[in-house]
Amino acid sequence: MPPVMHIDRLQKQFAGKPPKDVLRGVDLTLEPGAVLGLLGQNGSGKSTLLKCSLGLLKPTGGSVTVLGDDAWNLTAESKARLGYVPQEAVSYPWMRIRQVIAYTAAFYPRWNQPLVDELCRRWRLPLEDRVGPLSVGQLQTLAIVLALGHEPELLILDEPVASLDPTARREFLRTLLEIIDDPHRTILFSTHITSDLERVASRVAILKGGQIAFHGELGELKDRVKRLRIAASHDLPASFAVPGALRCEVAGSVATVSVDDFDEALVDDMRRTWQAEVSVQDLNLEEIFVELHDQTRRARLPAQV
Amino acid sequence: MPPRADIFEIHPSSGVPIYRQLVDQVHALIAGGRLAAGDLLPSVRQVAQAAEVNPMTVSKAYSRLEADGVVERVRGQGMRVLGSLSGGTLRQRRQEFRELVAPSLHRAFQLGLDEEEVHKVLEDLLNQLTIVRNAR
Repeated sequence: MPPVMHIDRLQKQFAGKPPKDVLRGVDLTLEPGAVLGLLGQNGSGKSTLLKCSLGLLKPTGGSVTVLGDDAWNLTAESKARLGYVPQEAVSYPWMRIRQVIAYTAAFYPRWNQPLVDELCRRWRLPLEDRVGPLSVGQLQTLAIVLALGHEPELLILDEPVASLDPTARREFLRTLLEIIDDPHRTILFSTHITSDLERVASRVAILKGGQIAFHGELGELKDRVKRLRIAASHDLPASFAVPGALRCEVAGSVATVSVDDFDEALVDDMRRTWQAEVSVQDLNLEEIFVELHDQTRRARLPAQV
Repeated sequence: MPPRADIFEIHPSSGVPIYRQLVDQVHALIAGGRLAAGDLLPSVRQVAQAAEVNPMTVSKAYSRLEADGVVERVRGQGMRVLGSLSGGTLRQRRQEFRELVAPSLHRAFQLGLDEEEVHKVLEDLLNQLTIVRNAR
C-alpha cells in the first residue's frame, strides 16, 4: 500500500520583519494504519505542519502528498476521505448541535449517522442545545464528532484533547482505539499530553527547530533514550565525557548522563573505564521530551553549569 | 482454560516500552508457573482493549515472544505457550544473570558489606524464594 501521506523537504516561511522560518525541511511519511503522535514545544510549528498537510496553508518549499494528491490541490474525493479537527473549532453559535451535525453531514457523500448518535450519547452532547453557550471542551468534542461522521481514512487532529477533562480524554482515546481497529484508517495528531500519546500512538515524531528530530516507534525511542547515573569511587576527571551524550553533568564522583543511543556495551565500557557503578534509568515520553529540549537550553547557557 | 485479557498489568507512561512490559510479564508468568506449556495468550485485540493501548504494540510484543521461541502462533487459535522458558542456552542465561547481579555486588561492597555478609544475604533470599515456589 502506498503511504497515506508523504512530506518531502517541506518549508514554510511566514512574512514579517524578519520573516519567520517555521518549517525548515520536514520529511515525514505516514503509512496506512499508523497512529502517529506529533510532539513539539509551543511554537515549534505543529499546527503549521498539519495545515500544510491539508492544503490549508501553502508551503514555501517542498511538497506534501496526501492520499495520492498534492495537498495544495486536493480533489473533492480526497477531501471526503479526510477528517480534521482544528485547534480552534469553527462553530455556528446560532445553530443547535443537531443542526450543525445535519449541516456538516450534507457536505459528505457518505455519513454514518448511527455512529454520530452514539458518539453524542457517549460525550453527553445535548443535541437540542445551541452551540453558542457550549463550553470549550464541549465545542472540542463536537468538532471531533463532526470529523468522525464520514469515517475518514485519514484523521488529523490538532491538540484534540487540550480542553477535555480526564474522563472525556479517556473516552476520546477509547474512540481512537476503536477507529484503528480498521487497519485502513490512519491517524495523525499533535499533542503536548504525552501520557495520551503513550497509550494510542504506534509512532511518534518530534518536531524541533523546524525539522523532525526523531521519527519512529515509541518503544524504540524509549529503548534508545536513557539516563545513566555514574558513581565512581574517586572524583571524575575534568576530561570526563560521553560521546554523543544529550546532556552530561558532573558533580565530584557522580555524573548524570543522558544518551540517545543506549546499549549495554556502553554501560560495561563505562564501568570498566571509570571504575564506577552505573545505573540505568528508563525515561517515559515526558522525560525524554524534556531531555531532548533541555539540551538546547543548556547549550546556550554554559555559564550555569 | 480460556485466556484472560487482564493477566497483564500495563503502565503506558512508564519508561519501559509497552511491548517490553508485555514480553517481560509473559516471561515472569511462565517462570512463576502461572502460564504453562499449551496455555493460550489472550488475543492481541483483547489485551489492547483491556489495557487501552494500541493493538500494534501488543502485536509487536507477541511477535517478539514468537521470535524468541517462547510462544508459537497457532492458526485460528492464537499464541500458545511453548514448554518451559528457554530464553537461550544455559551459558547465555548464566551470562544474563551475571549482568544483573554484577551491579548489585558492586553496590554491596560500596555499602561496606564483606564477602561473607553478601553470601548470607543471598542465602536468605534463596531460602525465601524456595519457600514461596514450593508453596505453589
